[in-house]
Amino acid sequence: MAEINFTKLLVHLVVLVDVVLLHVAYATYFERKVIGHMQMRMGPTRVGPMGLLQPIADGIKLFFKEDIIPAAADRPLFYAAPIICLVAMLSCLAVLPFDPNHVLADLNIGLIFIFAMSSLASYGVVLAGWASNSKYSFLGGMRSMSQVISYEIAMGLSLVGVMMMTGSLNLGQIVAAQAASPFGIYAIPQFIGFFVFVVSMLAETNRVPFDLPEAETELVAGYCTEYSGIRFSLFFMAEYIGMIVMASIGTICFLGGWNGPFTVPYVPFFWFLLKIYAIMFFFFWVRATLPRYRYDQLMDLGWKFLIPLALANILLTGLMKTVLE
Amino acid sequence: MIVKHKKKRNLLETIFLVEILKGMGLTLRRMFSKPVTCQYPTEKRQPSLGFRGKHALVRNPHTQGSKCVACLRCVTICPSQCISIRFHQDEENGPRLLDSYEIEALRCIYCGYCAEVCPVNAILLTESYEYSSYDRQSIFFDQEKLLANWDEFMDQGNHNPHTYVNPFWRPRGCDIKGLAAPRRKAVPEEWTREGQIVGRKHKAAASPAPPEQGAKQ
Amino acid sequence: MAALEQRSMEIPIPAQEKELFALKMGPQHPATHGVLRLDLFLDGETIAICKPDVGYLHRGFEKIAENKSYAQFLPITDRLDYIGAMANNVGYCHAVETLLNIEVPERANYIRTIVAEMSRISGHLLWLATHALDIGAMTVFLYCFREREILLDLFEELCGARLTTSYTRLGGVRQDVSALFMDNLTKFTDDFPTKIADYETLIDTNRIWLKRTQNIGVISGKQAVQLGFTGPTLRGSGVDYDVRKHRPYCVYDRLDFQVPLGRKGDIYDRYLCRMEEFRQSVAIIKQCLEQLPPGPIVNDDAPDLIMPITPQRKVAADSIGSSGIIQLMEDRNIYMEGDVYVSTEAPKGELGFYFVSDGEGRPYRMHIRSPSFIHIGGIPAICEGEMVADVIACIGSLDVVLGECDR
Repeated sequence: MAEINFTKLLVHLVVLVDVVLLHVAYATYFERKVIGHMQMRMGPTRVGPMGLLQPIADGIKLFFKEDIIPAAADRPLFYAAPIICLVAMLSCLAVLPFDPNHVLADLNIGLIFIFAMSSLASYGVVLAGWASNSKYSFLGGMRSMSQVISYEIAMGLSLVGVMMMTGSLNLGQIVAAQAASPFGIYAIPQFIGFFVFVVSMLAETNRVPFDLPEAETELVAGYCTEYSGIRFSLFFMAEYIGMIVMASIGTICFLGGWNGPFTVPYVPFFWFLLKIYAIMFFFFWVRATLPRYRYDQLMDLGWKFLIPLALANILLTGLMKTVLE
Repeated sequence: MIVKHKKKRNLLETIFLVEILKGMGLTLRRMFSKPVTCQYPTEKRQPSLGFRGKHALVRNPHTQGSKCVACLRCVTICPSQCISIRFHQDEENGPRLLDSYEIEALRCIYCGYCAEVCPVNAILLTESYEYSSYDRQSIFFDQEKLLANWDEFMDQGNHNPHTYVNPFWRPRGCDIKGLAAPRRKAVPEEWTREGQIVGRKHKAAASPAPPEQGAKQ
Repeated sequence: MAALEQRSMEIPIPAQEKELFALKMGPQHPATHGVLRLDLFLDGETIAICKPDVGYLHRGFEKIAENKSYAQFLPITDRLDYIGAMANNVGYCHAVETLLNIEVPERANYIRTIVAEMSRISGHLLWLATHALDIGAMTVFLYCFREREILLDLFEELCGARLTTSYTRLGGVRQDVSALFMDNLTKFTDDFPTKIADYETLIDTNRIWLKRTQNIGVISGKQAVQLGFTGPTLRGSGVDYDVRKHRPYCVYDRLDFQVPLGRKGDIYDRYLCRMEEFRQSVAIIKQCLEQLPPGPIVNDDAPDLIMPITPQRKVAADSIGSSGIIQLMEDRNIYMEGDVYVSTEAPKGELGFYFVSDGEGRPYRMHIRSPSFIHIGGIPAICEGEMVADVIACIGSLDVVLGECDR
């Protein structure tokens, strides 16, 4: 085993987390601007030029807000829940290859690791719902748990096609195999898998039209109803990191990762970032357009439609693979 | 009339998410159209004539005081009873002299009845709408404040205090003979009965066109 | 004392309900349209029992009316259904005029029809906005407000206020329409149908919208009549009842318009009815604009704004002169005894005013039949058996305004 250079690792870690958190902050700005303009508004314009300092101001505000804890809350769990969420989501970042040379932990089970971690994050949500000792939070937590369980399956199955085509779970190798494939991206041969992935990606990150755990017009704010200040912002960060992670998986598994039509000198991760931004834009675009599913309809869609579709995709991929070989 | 249901989407439309893509196309198109936002504190909205905003007492150009004759009509009509007037009479049956005129603007519901019933056009609701405050005292208007509001309104709106008319003093489409003498101020042509806007049907009847039509018939 | 204890505020829970999950929704909840509170008893996420609780916005308007003259109460009707204040003004004045036998000039009637339909459009726009937002379609909300803004600007041009209009007067309206108002309104009626297409593109055929609205919150025509529903909520169930057609007021009998009816009485039918009413209202406004006759806007014989509450006592300052609009009728007996119930078609449904007068310048007793109150009474019938998310959609489809419900 090679000797690990701790200083280098630490620097790498700090840079990665900082960059991602900055992305999270500006993802909120991006979201507000995009949805604002789609609704013929302007989005944030006040803080800084074109409102560019708005995320910073929001962060400062959330940090200094009063941290209210309900009297009947289960305090240890209440404290732990947002941290579980955030840590689980942040640890997903470790296995993401942003370009051929930059990956914190080049795991052979990268994809499985990400699934495991994003499922772990739902523990935080469930615990938050339970520990708040509030009925809205409780319902939100329950909804989140069942939603994650059902859509985790659909999503996992949708990626099985990719695994079959690559023969690996290592994210770097998936990208490399993709570059060698005839279309360059798996989204074309695996279009069914890609569709199922996109839908379950929206569900997995609790975004519209599947934002039931925090459906504001039904459950006030779902599992984070009772949270305020910095604890609320931890949940918020976890959600946005989740979006970035899902966007990255989509990029890596279906859109060809860091490869693009041509190489951009000095910026090896240019195409990777561009694809992530495109997927994030898609998240916001969908949010501006669609209404919300009902809870049982969501389950219907997951179990009766997406999972069979993903299974069919696996079958089809297997058949194609056998025929072609 | 039974409302029409849209026809059910067919298999192809279901598979290709046609209606969802149409919706997304619309939001994308709207993203590039001009926002309708009015950036309020930097870009102020011009209220229309006769907007019911901050109260003011008209300053009499001759006496520099208010025009109020303490008839108490505004006090009587005010639905929220936010106006209070104190007056005295020097001699019996002499003119009433105004001691104080107070409007508790926080209670006011801005119906404009006070301006409408005033026989001498002494009070009005100006078009100014920016007068929020951190304390109640500064939104309690006494006579000086109300007169100052009038001066401010005249300055800011570039109005001439001699010719200004408020639609509440002389509503559009109202006959002059129904008004008390001090209220008969000159108004734009379209405020009178003669300048009334009518529908196309009646416009055709009133204009010289009908004789031609008659000739044709 | 014992009687007081029995009437405690707590709603008693029957024994069998104790196993259920009790969820108190509101009065501070983002989707209860104001201060409606629902006591929900859930079995899983299904509503087993639903108990609406109203009164958080009670301001005692009916009692206030007993102490104000008829004209003085008019600004207060703005605050009933604060989304369609014009329709309330028209309804109130129409009722008082019926009580006091006051004629309304032709032109004023046309203007009243125009503003009532404008307020119907603006009320329905707000309904669509919040209903769509409740179901999660956020963008429709802002597109609707874009158009509502134009209407509110028109109201401001007409009467100086955007929401609390206080526009009508006994025997007419306060102010004539201006050229600017007519131009802008004509432009609006021309543009608006294309704007409706915007909303429809987003939700009309959207599969998520259909799933959330079709066959949910179904109420049969018979049941709707039994519950006392009116307006689009009733017509969504296929019952042809519209005050504008059945007891025409203003100039509705002279206009050509149709009353949209639903078939099943689910949320989607109510939605379609209201969407069709947008188009019908635009058609009505267009006809009125075309036919608007010249003439006075207030009846010269109508009572003064300052109408002494008791016939004997005259206002102190008669000698100075009468008010702007109308001369004080000293000889004419406008003080009627008797009672009258007059209803008009407000955006939410049948808005009725019941007056009992003992011959004074104020009602002895007034009752407001507010559609929202009656529709809230129907929430249990609609919601029970549906899911939590559907409660929100159902309330949205009933289009309740708590200011009118609690009054």
